[in-house]
Amino acid sequence: MRLAIQFAIVLMLAIGPALASDRLVVDDAGRKVQVPQAPKRIVVLHEAALGVPIAELGIAPVGSYGRDDQGASLLTVDFYKIVLAGSAPKPLPRGIGAIGNMDLERLRALSPDLIIGTEHNVDRARQLSKIAPVYLQNSSTGRVRGNESQEALSRLLKRTKEFTALKRSYAQRVKTVRDALPHNPNGKTYLGIFITDQINLIGEMSGLVQAFQDLGYTRLDVSGIGAIKGFGSALLVPISPEVFASLNPDLLVMMNSYGKPQREEAHIRQNLDRIIPGWARFLKPARDGRIIFLDSAKVTTPSFASANHTLDAVRAWASHQK
Amino acid sequence: MKIRRALDGKSVLRLRTGLEMRLSNLWACLFLVFAATTLAVMSINVGFTRTGVSDLGHLAAGERLGGAEVFALLDVRMPRILTGFMAGWCVAMAGAMLQALARNPLADPGLFGLSQGSMVTIMVLLALFPTAPRSIIPLTALAGGLLVALTLIWLVRGDRSGGLAILLMGIAIETVLSSVTGILILYTPAETSYALSDWLAGSLFRADWNGIWAFMPWFALSIPAAFVTGRALRSFGLGDDMAMALGEPVPWSRPTFLFVAVLLSSAAVAAVGPLIFLGVMAPHLAGILSPATGRARLFLSGLTGGTLVIAADILTRLVAADVPLQLGLSLSLIGVPLFIIALRLRALRTISNL
Repeated sequence: MRLAIQFAIVLMLAIGPALASDRLVVDDAGRKVQVPQAPKRIVVLHEAALGVPIAELGIAPVGSYGRDDQGASLLTVDFYKIVLAGSAPKPLPRGIGAIGNMDLERLRALSPDLIIGTEHNVDRARQLSKIAPVYLQNSSTGRVRGNESQEALSRLLKRTKEFTALKRSYAQRVKTVRDALPHNPNGKTYLGIFITDQINLIGEMSGLVQAFQDLGYTRLDVSGIGAIKGFGSALLVPISPEVFASLNPDLLVMMNSYGKPQREEAHIRQNLDRIIPGWARFLKPARDGRIIFLDSAKVTTPSFASANHTLDAVRAWASHQK
Repeated sequence: MKIRRALDGKSVLRLRTGLEMRLSNLWACLFLVFAATTLAVMSINVGFTRTGVSDLGHLAAGERLGGAEVFALLDVRMPRILTGFMAGWCVAMAGAMLQALARNPLADPGLFGLSQGSMVTIMVLLALFPTAPRSIIPLTALAGGLLVALTLIWLVRGDRSGGLAILLMGIAIETVLSSVTGILILYTPAETSYALSDWLAGSLFRADWNGIWAFMPWFALSIPAAFVTGRALRSFGLGDDMAMALGEPVPWSRPTFLFVAVLLSSAAVAAVGPLIFLGVMAPHLAGILSPATGRARLFLSGLTGGTLVIAADILTRLVAADVPLQLGLSLSLIGVPLFIIALRLRALRTISNL
């Protein structure tokens, strides 16, 4: 009997940590995934939608899709550096192959203990699962709003304390900016425009949306004006220039694509002039000075950092109005 | 086993069983086997992890290797080589069959709409049932390809229908299905659309041992199919009347061979996506090595197709760190210059024979 009890204790001691080191969760694609209790070596498959919010929660991803072997960005913008500035991960995450040509060997060399992708990576999950558990997080318009995906990630990664601290500091900032506004934002509308080679409405996810929502603005109702619903799109909803010209939100937010190096006000104006010549003369928000120009690279990630960048721009606009 | 002269004066190898092979075809076959083996060895050595053929030998000898090396060799490189070779073989052989059936050197599974048929059904499946098990994709591809083939057979039914009728109807169906593909890509949810676009460009990313075992029966089927259809395809090349005069039951053998081509093409589409132009390119490149007909043409085409896909995969993985190069694009980068050279050589050969 004593021998049996001793054996049971030894067995529990041996198995216990192994059982405690993993937990079973269900990801947004409905897959059951065994994830570590406290993942330390995370690889993200989308830098803006996943990498930045996770890094802001205090976990530096070891690998990020869209970077080279030295950690330099293969894209026009380096979201970690631009959005998080001084808080960007050091060293920066390393790459896992060119965009559209993911390299499984490179990925495995990073020894990840968790791979986090968006719902767009569902078809790759089986292959990637050979390397590490793969968790798919919804990150698109119609599925998540504002910074919801960052909150979900904080629960997954057991970083809710960090999330709450960031939220508290952000809430104070929202109050300050709200007090500085030239009008009461309750009941007022805003609309975010993202200019590529066409005009796009900003979808429902991103720090920008979170900030305007928390300030009290409501997104202008665009249903029934010919805009595609944008379900499943990560960020953008195309809209015709004619429809755009007829819109009159209380606050119009404009930005150039982060695919372009020039994202300042002058370039945004120039870019929109190519699509709608003379827009500044007839577009109502332009004539009334109700336009805020933003840097899309800074404000389109679902993070408090992006929301704070938006608040800074709103505050600067408000002080100019006064 | 003896070497004899054929009626046209060319050397043939005659086996005791009565089977004859032209020596030129045999040399071309050996060259292609050598090229495929060399490229496979190169492919085993290419990749981020420092490992290669010697480690594979150690592994085969029962020695223990590090996890990274085993993963690179057994989970990434070997599945890619085997899947790529089998897919290239099947597409090229299907292309060679269709060229003989249609009596048109431009025919391939893509031009007949067979690949598009497989693609559209897979896309519809993924769009309507995104959580459907991936194991049913090959069957879905097969159903789509067969549906197109049956439609083709129905449209060109009748004794007076020739190869040109099949080709023209194939082009018409392919055009309609391409439009459907475009609509599906535009209007399906983004994640489905991304997955579909990725797959449409051709990819060996999903190559694994389960996929290889699933593909193996179709690949194995191609070998007896080549033996059975080879002689008849040579007769088809002479025209329907002459084929029937030679004893070929054209009214049933044509749809049967079309069915075999569909099986091969659909299996490849389900495994790696559509390998555009390979079905046209590989038989012509094989034809430059040795102007074979019948069975030999089918086997040489299959070997050329498989070899080209292995070469394309090497190029894709060589630039993996910086350049987004999909399999379909690297196949074009390697195959099209060779194809142009092959056509120029053929033209020069024709001129010199005048």
